[in-house]
Amino acid sequence: MSFVSFSFLILLFVTVVVYYLISPQYRWIWLLVISFFFYMCSSPVYVVFLLASILVTYFSGVLIGKVNHGSGSKTRKKAIAALSLVINIGVLITFKYLKFFSDLLSFAGINAIAGEYRFILPIGISFYTFQSLSYTLDVYRGDVEPEYHLGKYALFVSFFPTLISGPIQKSKDFLKKIDEVHSFDYDRVRRGILLMLWGYFEKMVVADRLGVLVNTVFNNPAQYHGLDSILAVLFYTFQIYCDFAGYSNISLGVAETLGFHLSANFQQPYFSKSIQEFWRRWHISLGTWFRDYLYFPLGGSRCSKLRHYLNLLIVFTVCGLWHGASLTFLFWGILHGFYQIVGLLLKPVKREVQDRLGFQNSSRGYTMLQTAATFVLVSFAWVFFRADTMENAFLMIGNMFQFDRSSLWDGSIFNLGLTQPEFIAAILGIFIVILVDILTTHLDLRNVLIGSNTMVRWTVYLAAVLILIIFGTYGSEYSAQSFIYFQF
Amino acid sequence: MKKLITKGFIFVLLLFTILGLISPIFVYKTQHMGKLKEGLYLSDDQYDVVLMGSSHMNGGVDPNVIWNQYGITSFNYATGGQPIDATYYLLKDVLKKHKNPVVVLDVFYLGMTNQYGERGLVSNALDNMKFSSNKLNAIWNCTPPEDRFLYLFPVLKYHFRWSSLEAKDFGFDYSSVYYNKGFVAGTEKYGKSISKWEDTENRTEIPAKSLEYLNKIIALSKEENFKLVLVNMPCDYSEPNQQDGWVDDCEALFNTVADFAESNKIPFLDLYDKAEEIGIDFANDMNNAGHLNLWGAYKISSYLGKYLKQNYNLTDYRDNSAYANWDEDYQYSQAASITKDDFGKDFC
Repeated sequence: MSFVSFSFLILLFVTVVVYYLISPQYRWIWLLVISFFFYMCSSPVYVVFLLASILVTYFSGVLIGKVNHGSGSKTRKKAIAALSLVINIGVLITFKYLKFFSDLLSFAGINAIAGEYRFILPIGISFYTFQSLSYTLDVYRGDVEPEYHLGKYALFVSFFPTLISGPIQKSKDFLKKIDEVHSFDYDRVRRGILLMLWGYFEKMVVADRLGVLVNTVFNNPAQYHGLDSILAVLFYTFQIYCDFAGYSNISLGVAETLGFHLSANFQQPYFSKSIQEFWRRWHISLGTWFRDYLYFPLGGSRCSKLRHYLNLLIVFTVCGLWHGASLTFLFWGILHGFYQIVGLLLKPVKREVQDRLGFQNSSRGYTMLQTAATFVLVSFAWVFFRADTMENAFLMIGNMFQFDRSSLWDGSIFNLGLTQPEFIAAILGIFIVILVDILTTHLDLRNVLIGSNTMVRWTVYLAAVLILIIFGTYGSEYSAQSFIYFQF
Repeated sequence: MKKLITKGFIFVLLLFTILGLISPIFVYKTQHMGKLKEGLYLSDDQYDVVLMGSSHMNGGVDPNVIWNQYGITSFNYATGGQPIDATYYLLKDVLKKHKNPVVVLDVFYLGMTNQYGERGLVSNALDNMKFSSNKLNAIWNCTPPEDRFLYLFPVLKYHFRWSSLEAKDFGFDYSSVYYNKGFVAGTEKYGKSISKWEDTENRTEIPAKSLEYLNKIIALSKEENFKLVLVNMPCDYSEPNQQDGWVDDCEALFNTVADFAESNKIPFLDLYDKAEEIGIDFANDMNNAGHLNLWGAYKISSYLGKYLKQNYNLTDYRDNSAYANWDEDYQYSQAASITKDDFGKDFC
């Protein structure tokens, strides 16, 4: 069941009403039932893997907890944690990477086992596997006490607003929220609905419209050059942001209507002044996961320079592979690791240049230059993320430099799947997203709206819904586009 | 929570009202829209005969010809791809204004075996009906569950048209369709002589939903006291036979319809069988395999007008000054313009 469907809105309405009507002690049961129903609407057979992940991590948590409290040896604790990791990651590898690794081995002349196996990836598996593994690791480290209530633990893993594509929750934050009593708060529900509306706008009005042009060019990269290719890359940069941030905002909004306040997953990522900062603002829940459970255990930056660089490379290689089992994702991840290493290597040079030219770190011009450079680097990397093959990615990049000036005025850009009005709407959509990102750095726009008079509020509410209905990219005339991050 | 639900309810009500108001802007401005608005709501004329059905009827019978030759007032409410269930509900809307007419019903779509007609074609009829309990019933019964909301607020179906809206979308000029009285035929020539279909004595069942709605129309005729005539238009049935979602043998179906009509004492004019008698020349009188052209429609309309005149007590209004506008309208009709130049002596 997609967030962008009437059936989801009806399910949400029923869920919220019943949630607040029943006694707080039974609410977790209601949410658990709805979460499994929600999951089974999309993937009824694969619910078994969700259940397996829940059970394995639940029991490993309980057993590790016993060791933490003095019953059993450290070896036993390690063995239990390792078993949980192996089972969870094993399932993930089987479904997501077996074919990829088998192809790589075949390429190296080794006949691999995967053969022609092609599994359909269980929806949300990358997200719930990481979420449940974080619990095993947190309990292992003694950061959280084990959750002995199987039902509540199952809800932690399967909470429907975050089940399919995150944001990946941390057990130490989320488990206690299940026990909180969320009494009905009119303003909080309203804030949740407003966040959902913004998410729907990002997804339906902006991302999916941009996607039409992006698909046209990226599906036939050899046919397009110069401005067409540049536009496709630029549009994809905003498409993936609006798609995933849109999804995350709907997810956070839904959780908020139920009284769960979850941390933001994006924080104006394209305003970052460095790649390092970009990763603190982009897909924050995943970045945090890799930082806490991979980067820090590898030694982080508290080690030799060489080891630090290696750690970065490992983390971003894994991050690339997490997104998909293909060379393009792998390269994208390595490229981001490489960006960071080069950034660190160039730091002294940068300082030297700054000193000589007299730039202040805080000067507006310098900040803008840094932001623009980061944006260009990130956009360049997205080419590999979006392209179907490495050949196509390099073809796209090469074609970007074959610029034909006449394309600036001959109207050929309106032959890329978007008519002139649609194209203008797409550009306008990008500007609105940027404007809101600028405003939200200083203001809580939802509070501003809620604080305004009834006439203004209702006009905005109605206008927002009408904009979604009229300008949204949905229905049989548009090919249905699922959220990009569903595939991961 | 009561506050949220109350405000939410008011919001939804307001939203639905706006969607209802803006939907007509987004609906395609086709001749189907023009004719239905004209025939159902705008025209003050009373029609003694109403012509119902699919595209076969839409381009098959010209009310202007019937008027010109027999002085009978009629209107063609048929729309392309109109399944029999949609015809039933459309007829109910027609009967709100026109009491006890002779209803001439094209039976071609009885052959449809799908539960629901194609969205685009069903929309031709349903999108142009005014909101009423009858329209709600039509949506409920003629469209698949997942589409019903879209028919209730057509803007949800056609919202993508925002980028191509024209001045006519904000104010459709109904005068452009006024003179047609609902009839529109092509002026192409099929060019193929039909290989006469072999007569068969076979029978095939009328698909369940078609039969259900045919029975409903018959029940309605008794309830509303109108005469019903079933017709089947000339057509190259070798092509419809190959369609998915259609009965395998149209000839066998129409044999069953003939039996059904006889047992229900309803006249059935199989104009396909009477094509030779009427003088239909497939190569020159068909627009394409399935539809008559202007010349073919002229012949069929003449035949049908004569049949209606002979079999029903229909008034000839040609000498009634209150109907003078019908004569004037005829001068602007498709038939009048063609007959003057091309039709020759045979049919004028």
